[in-house]
Amino acid sequence: MSDDTLSVPTSTPPAPTAQRPRLTLTLSARDLLNVAIFAVIYFVIVYAIAMLGIISPPAMLLTLPLSVIAAGVPYMLFLTRVKHAGPVTLFAIAVGGLYLISGHPWISTLLTIGVAVVAEVILWAGRYRSYWSAILAHAVFSLWYIGPMLPLLMNRAEYLNSPGMRNMGQDYVDAFDQTVSVTAVWIYNASTFVCGLLGGLLGAFLLKKHFTRAGLA
Amino acid sequence: MNTNLLTVRSPAGTTRAPRLDPRTKILLVLLVSMVVTGPDGLRFVLPGLLLAAGLALWEGARRRALVLCVAVATMCVLGWLLPLWWPNPLTAIVSLTCTYLIRFTVAIGVGMHLVATTSPTELNAALRAARAPRAISVTMAVMLRFFPVVAAEAAAVRDALRLRGLTGVGAFLCHPVLSLERFTVPMIASSLRAGEDLAASAILRGLGSHRRPTALHPPRFGRPDLVWALLTAGLATAAIVLPTPLT
Repeated sequence: MSDDTLSVPTSTPPAPTAQRPRLTLTLSARDLLNVAIFAVIYFVIVYAIAMLGIISPPAMLLTLPLSVIAAGVPYMLFLTRVKHAGPVTLFAIAVGGLYLISGHPWISTLLTIGVAVVAEVILWAGRYRSYWSAILAHAVFSLWYIGPMLPLLMNRAEYLNSPGMRNMGQDYVDAFDQTVSVTAVWIYNASTFVCGLLGGLLGAFLLKKHFTRAGLA
Repeated sequence: MNTNLLTVRSPAGTTRAPRLDPRTKILLVLLVSMVVTGPDGLRFVLPGLLLAAGLALWEGARRRALVLCVAVATMCVLGWLLPLWWPNPLTAIVSLTCTYLIRFTVAIGVGMHLVATTSPTELNAALRAARAPRAISVTMAVMLRFFPVVAAEAAAVRDALRLRGLTGVGAFLCHPVLSLERFTVPMIASSLRAGEDLAASAILRGLGSHRRPTALHPPRFGRPDLVWALLTAGLATAAIVLPTPLT
């Protein structure tokens, strides 16, 4: 990083956007309100779309990735208003709290905060103004979608022993155990990340197309 | 639109029957989420349902109590009885999904009590009394206030889409990304506009300032908290000691 600053000719003053943002965790009232407003919008959008898939597991295969992509729109707009460390993590605490109230496992809340800290580091590296680091940060933050699935992994034996599975016999359970294996979980994680990237791109596109013009970004 | 952030009327009125302290409600939500989604969580599903339905009845939300019981009963039928009558791979997957979703339903039931009976001001005061950081208490209170606004805007956008015939599974399947754009962009824009008003009003009224405000009704643990804590302890003991019908 210091090499970058050294390579800038002394005659040209560094652009204000290129300066390392102040490393402060002090949040102004405006920051807190922004976090609260966007957390609610994010929650409502994700829930509205994910709930469309509650009718059947095959519908969920479509609505779950779509909700990751749709989440990119409010998240990218939120990131345009973040200029220093703190709000991204607070956003995760707020969204995690909402999901906790709506029935998600508590371990998912911890994961949400964990991925937000990683997203925060990515944004910090991009000086909170980089286009690609914002998209990457959204993809990383989207990994909280693994959270609700964590009990299925951690209490695996219990779920495989569910009544429907018991009635199908041991052979079926073994086959199911092998199909929905660790590989499947990694595929789920990777596809979440890819959908997160797509969501970030869609968000960035819509920012340019609508929100910047409307003076909201 | 009511832009008054701190004097919003509480959902259940202020002169009604005594209610639980918000801190007790938060603890109940955390406790139920931890035991129900943890290992051997099915053991705690029925006691959790009793707690959620009991809380709903106590606050007078009979419809919610009924919906919770019907939802759990449906999942019991789909998850436990259906595979007995008709064992095949489809019912096995449905059964697995039900054993997963039944835990969500119970946890949501307790969470809904928190949301329905706590006003933003009460939550803010309670979190302050619990020594939560200012950032968290203010954010949570504002979220609670802002929730109905966003829900109303989302419903309005959905109505507008329906009026133009743009809703429906067909349109959604043919152009998923376009449908997303049509729903999210107006909803975010109108919510943000309402949010700007709320934010300006809230900041003027001193929300988020570093001085510690005093509460007109400081949160206190009372008799209802003791009663519900004892009931919860009783249900938890029963869940651990008695044999569980759901395995």
